[in-house]
Amino acid sequence: MAQFKWKQIGFACAFVGALWACGGNSPDTPAPTPTNPADQASSDRKAMLTNIADNIIVPSYANFKTKFDLMLTKSDAFAVKPDKASLTDFRQAWVDAYTEWQKVELFDVGPAEQNTLRNFFNIYPTDVTGIEAYVTAGTGAFDVPASYPKQGFPALDYFINGLGTTDDAIVARYTTAADAAKRLAYLKRLTTQMNTQFSSVYTAWTTGGYRDTFINCTALNAGCSTSKLVNGYVLNYERYLRSGKFGIPSGAMSNGTVSPDKVEAYYKKDLALTLAKTAHQATVDFFNGKGVKTGQEGPSLKTYLNSLGAKDSSTGASLVDIINKQFEAVNQQLTTLKPNLSDEIKTNDAAVVLVYTQMQKAVRMLKVDMTTVMSITITYTDNDGD
Amino acid sequence: MLAYFRKTTSAAPLAVFRLLFGLMLFGSIVRFWSRGWIEELYIKPRYFFPFYGFDFVHPLGSYTYVLFAVCGLSALLVAIGLFYRVAIVSLFVSFTYIELIDKSTYLNHYYFTSMVCLLLIFLPANTYFSVDAFRRRTLLAGQIPAWCIDSLKLFVALLYVFAGLAKLNSDWLLNAMPLRIWLPAHNDLPVVGFLFNDHRIPYAFSWFGCLYDLSIPFLLWNRPTRPWAYVAVIVFHGLTALLFPIGMFPYVMILTALIFFSANFHLAVIRQISNWLSIPTTFLLAHRAYTYQPIIANLIRVVFVVFFIIQLLFPFRYLLYPGELFWTEQGYRFSWRVMLMEKAGYAQFTVKDNLGHRTIVNNTEFLTPLQEKMMSTQPDMLLQYAHLLRDYYAQHGYHNPEVYVDSYVALNGRLGKPLISPDINLASEQESFAPKTWITSFDDKIYGF
Repeated sequence: MAQFKWKQIGFACAFVGALWACGGNSPDTPAPTPTNPADQASSDRKAMLTNIADNIIVPSYANFKTKFDLMLTKSDAFAVKPDKASLTDFRQAWVDAYTEWQKVELFDVGPAEQNTLRNFFNIYPTDVTGIEAYVTAGTGAFDVPASYPKQGFPALDYFINGLGTTDDAIVARYTTAADAAKRLAYLKRLTTQMNTQFSSVYTAWTTGGYRDTFINCTALNAGCSTSKLVNGYVLNYERYLRSGKFGIPSGAMSNGTVSPDKVEAYYKKDLALTLAKTAHQATVDFFNGKGVKTGQEGPSLKTYLNSLGAKDSSTGASLVDIINKQFEAVNQQLTTLKPNLSDEIKTNDAAVVLVYTQMQKAVRMLKVDMTTVMSITITYTDNDGD
Repeated sequence: MLAYFRKTTSAAPLAVFRLLFGLMLFGSIVRFWSRGWIEELYIKPRYFFPFYGFDFVHPLGSYTYVLFAVCGLSALLVAIGLFYRVAIVSLFVSFTYIELIDKSTYLNHYYFTSMVCLLLIFLPANTYFSVDAFRRRTLLAGQIPAWCIDSLKLFVALLYVFAGLAKLNSDWLLNAMPLRIWLPAHNDLPVVGFLFNDHRIPYAFSWFGCLYDLSIPFLLWNRPTRPWAYVAVIVFHGLTALLFPIGMFPYVMILTALIFFSANFHLAVIRQISNWLSIPTTFLLAHRAYTYQPIIANLIRVVFVVFFIIQLLFPFRYLLYPGELFWTEQGYRFSWRVMLMEKAGYAQFTVKDNLGHRTIVNNTEFLTPLQEKMMSTQPDMLLQYAHLLRDYYAQHGYHNPEVYVDSYVALNGRLGKPLISPDINLASEQESFAPKTWITSFDDKIYGF
């Protein structure tokens, strides 16, 4: 390689540079929407992750912790003195905590993803036979997949709403029934397990340093925050909102046969719709970056998509508007339903299926249109591409 | 023409190419193995997507490891030039077999590797600086027919030119797609990150990439421009390695481009290696010219001419199909179309029969995430999967199951739309080379190649 001289290297660099410059200045190509400074700032993923961590995820977890801790107190009070009054208190605290849970279930990232938090909090329909077997045995594994439907809010639902037709009948199961002590012991196991699982997630975010890890992992590859967050968000919308709350119970997804017993909070009867509405609103607010405490919107998926200029090239409508419009269509459909979703499925299933159909449209937009312009692989693998 | 076929040249470039190519393939196999991808891609999946006409290719279960071991060992033997003929045939067969198992793993540079192995079967790459020649000095030859090296150069040139031609389309040049989507993903890189927020940068990369592909073979072939063309090779492929998850491809191309360098350059490389290994210099002085037996020579020329005619025509087969190539992907593979599309999709299948059975398929029960991702945007894979579902449900109580798909695909930043007509029963559609009428129309125009 005798002819390889510095002069030529310099020349080569100049040539490469020149090509670069030519390409860069090709003014005859129609430029996309000019990027203004504000837009550039919003394509800053660190700012987005910081807003999401500090104004959405951590405060949401804190709000949930308040309601959840109260429920634990009421549960313990009920265990000490099971009667109608303590049952009513416990039940109300359970309703509040379950509703608040809907605002954190979608953060399937970091510690919640590692701990598979959802598995210990909200897998339904609950497994009554399995629970009774565990109660009788007085023991049983709590960390295997088969045990997920035997714990969490759905198991509590069965324990405080499903053990009898009246409150007196329910209280009797904890006082005069032969296995009352065992039942109380299982109740304690349930709340302890939930507390352990949630605490480890909450501490990781607040004092464990995960918040900093989260906002500093700004790359877009499968291992970093944005990709995990969006993957978890879309998965939650598709599998747990669309399928879990509507698609499966309404029969839209399986054989057309309805399963009114597969709704969330089945034994409480009048709560399922509230839970679904809360969960849906949380996903909408998350998309728009709405701060939990302030109600102000900050850097979010919305601002990020806008900074990328994501729009329908044929109509010019921005993708953000299209998605928000679809969220609104889902909300509209939700308002047509009555609180007892189980009854709605029995008597008015077509309306429930329509929720599923509207959500399905939103799933496509989130899963395909949003992720493709963000350059996020939705079902991620680390294999080579070309 | 005949005079050209009689021309001889130094065997050194081919020897160095054989060495580097073999080592690189060996390295690729080791990398693939160590990342657990054999398990991930060829053992764990329950179903596979063989290529049309190659349905007899099956994964070998845990023996797939043996297949990879054979492939790796063959690559190593090719590199050092030991039992060359057997090794290169075994390398071609094992490597190609692996690549034929599942379409989901198709990459253009695997196809490139397969084709180079095929060419190498017919080339005298072991006559110089090889263990074979060291053991059997009668084989040793310092000169080989010039067309042997030129054919490799031609093949590399074809790859680049076709890759460049494929970039001459309106999405790439006028909309900077898909780079406009991919580059902002790197706006958090230190120092240069902010550049990727600039909307001119994707245009610069697109135009430079296109010019590079179209011109680089000629700049490498032409002696005065060669050194700085090679600098461009390193810069270009280095950048792509940095920015995109494309594995070994950049390094394969950086080393392959050395084939264009002069005999003196390669002799210098060989002398240097010999110094390190204390190989006697007498082994390097070989003046004999390798000649094929006349009959074999004629046969090989015919094979090569046919090979290159096919290679020249194959990328244009898409012209035989109606519709937009990027949308239908009929004639997309095996055509050096690299990094041209950001295509994402979603496919939800419904299986039903006339007995009232009906179910919505959960794809994760059948496919790996990679397979699902690939299947949801490629019509031939959608059809294969539909047939797989048809057969599965037929065995599970469905009577003549019908399979429908609710598909949604976004291409190069356009909003998504159905790729397959939702009212088509895919269970009764047949795979063939004929145009697939059940693919929806693209309703947009991408101009150019």
